[in-house]
Amino acid sequence: MARFVYIVPPLTGHVNPTLAVGAALLEAGHEVAWMSLDESLEARLPADGKLLLITYTDDDHSERESGQYLNVITKKVVYGVDSIKFLYEEVLIPLNRHCYKGISRLLEAYQPDLVITDHELFAGAIAALKHGVPYVTSVTAPAAIQIMDELPKVYEWEQNQIVALQQELGLRAERSVASSDLLNLVFTSKEFFGEVHLPDQYRFVGPVIYKRQAKTTFDWARIAEASEGARILVSIGTTFNHEHKKSFFDKVISAFGGGPYTVVVICDPLLFEEWPDNFIVQLNIPQLEVLPYLDAVVCHGGHNTVCESLSNGIPLVVIPIAYDQSHVAGRVVKTGAGLRLNFNRFKAQHLQAALHEVLHDPAFKTAAISLRDSFIAAGGTAAAAGLLVNLTKNKSTNYV
Amino acid sequence: MDTIVTAGKLNSNEIFNLLKQFITEVIGEEFVEEMDISMDSSFNKDLEMDSIEIVAFSEKIKAHFGDKIDFTGWLSNMDIDELIGLKLGMIVNFIEECQ
Repeated sequence: MARFVYIVPPLTGHVNPTLAVGAALLEAGHEVAWMSLDESLEARLPADGKLLLITYTDDDHSERESGQYLNVITKKVVYGVDSIKFLYEEVLIPLNRHCYKGISRLLEAYQPDLVITDHELFAGAIAALKHGVPYVTSVTAPAAIQIMDELPKVYEWEQNQIVALQQELGLRAERSVASSDLLNLVFTSKEFFGEVHLPDQYRFVGPVIYKRQAKTTFDWARIAEASEGARILVSIGTTFNHEHKKSFFDKVISAFGGGPYTVVVICDPLLFEEWPDNFIVQLNIPQLEVLPYLDAVVCHGGHNTVCESLSNGIPLVVIPIAYDQSHVAGRVVKTGAGLRLNFNRFKAQHLQAALHEVLHDPAFKTAAISLRDSFIAAGGTAAAAGLLVNLTKNKSTNYV
Repeated sequence: MDTIVTAGKLNSNEIFNLLKQFITEVIGEEFVEEMDISMDSSFNKDLEMDSIEIVAFSEKIKAHFGDKIDFTGWLSNMDIDELIGLKLGMIVNFIEECQ
């Protein structure tokens, strides 16, 4: 039996796949822990999973200080290429700098056989290398490893940011260590990711969906009884601020309010005083349980929501806001599983027209089902867990 | 579609109109009507085009000019700050100089 540790950022989409694979490892009798800054993760861990909380005391002056600015991602309005710069300079580099010391201490104490670190939490890779522990990279937002042929300097710039932090933390390496030389678990299928030429250590295991225990209440009768018209979900994730949300949902209300749809909206119901009668508005929904009832999903192109929808063979209208969402939306369009709108430019009538097209042209549904099949064929949780266990079996291998 | 055979050199105004046509094809006519597209329009801030749309736009330039202009080479040399600051006029000037 082996001892595994996940190192995850405080971002839901990056954590959920690790919970599914971690649960499979635990069921097989291995020890599994999660390192995170997020205390609330403990309640979401699978049975017997252990939380190793990254914490600092008053002696860790710079970490105490930097901890105050980690929520900046929810506050700033960013768009396009600018958002990539913001993501690294103001979010990822400070986050990794902040986490490094804590990760390093926990690794020393926990002595795992294998580290599985998130691709955006490269501090985990740096710490693993420094401690001589083999590490695997968990790629939950796969656009990050996709280099745009036309804009190679964007990727190069990202790599340079990581290398600079590595040097600051005392790791002498000429290139970024964010991607493991041993194994990178890419949580999508090659069919969805697009044509790639990546080395063998990149393994496409498909999206891995963690069946969380549904504790959230939901008006099941309403969705089950909605006999007429289509059932749709609208969500723009959890990362974006009030101003973005308000203008977005304004347009959603104009597009679908009173229409022949039952609309499930993930949003704070207090955002508007009144919502149309055909809307079900909740801040949280049991999304995995609701999805099988739906005919289409409108979302911002977060990799998780897109993959969860496609896993149910549901076509999409994707409205990317920033970061890798533009890429994810591009893939949805390229694979024929949906349409894309520009977040800043779209108007209610465009959303209405796009949804109508996605619902009425069966080609979208067919493409979504074909992606679902590619996800299943990729092997999912069992494939990912198998690859991880294999790495711990041959300990004589020089991993690092 | 985009392959108008250009016999002679285009002046900067003609290039500007051609690029505006490409932008229209990428982001849609109705949006362009509401925009005041000029030589000074930036792709990131003014046109609000994201990386995927910029790539689609660049493909149209390549399809039109073919080997005559190494647009991909020029674009791929841009670092992240140059891309964020990329303006329509810069591309017009580049194409004009290449001809």
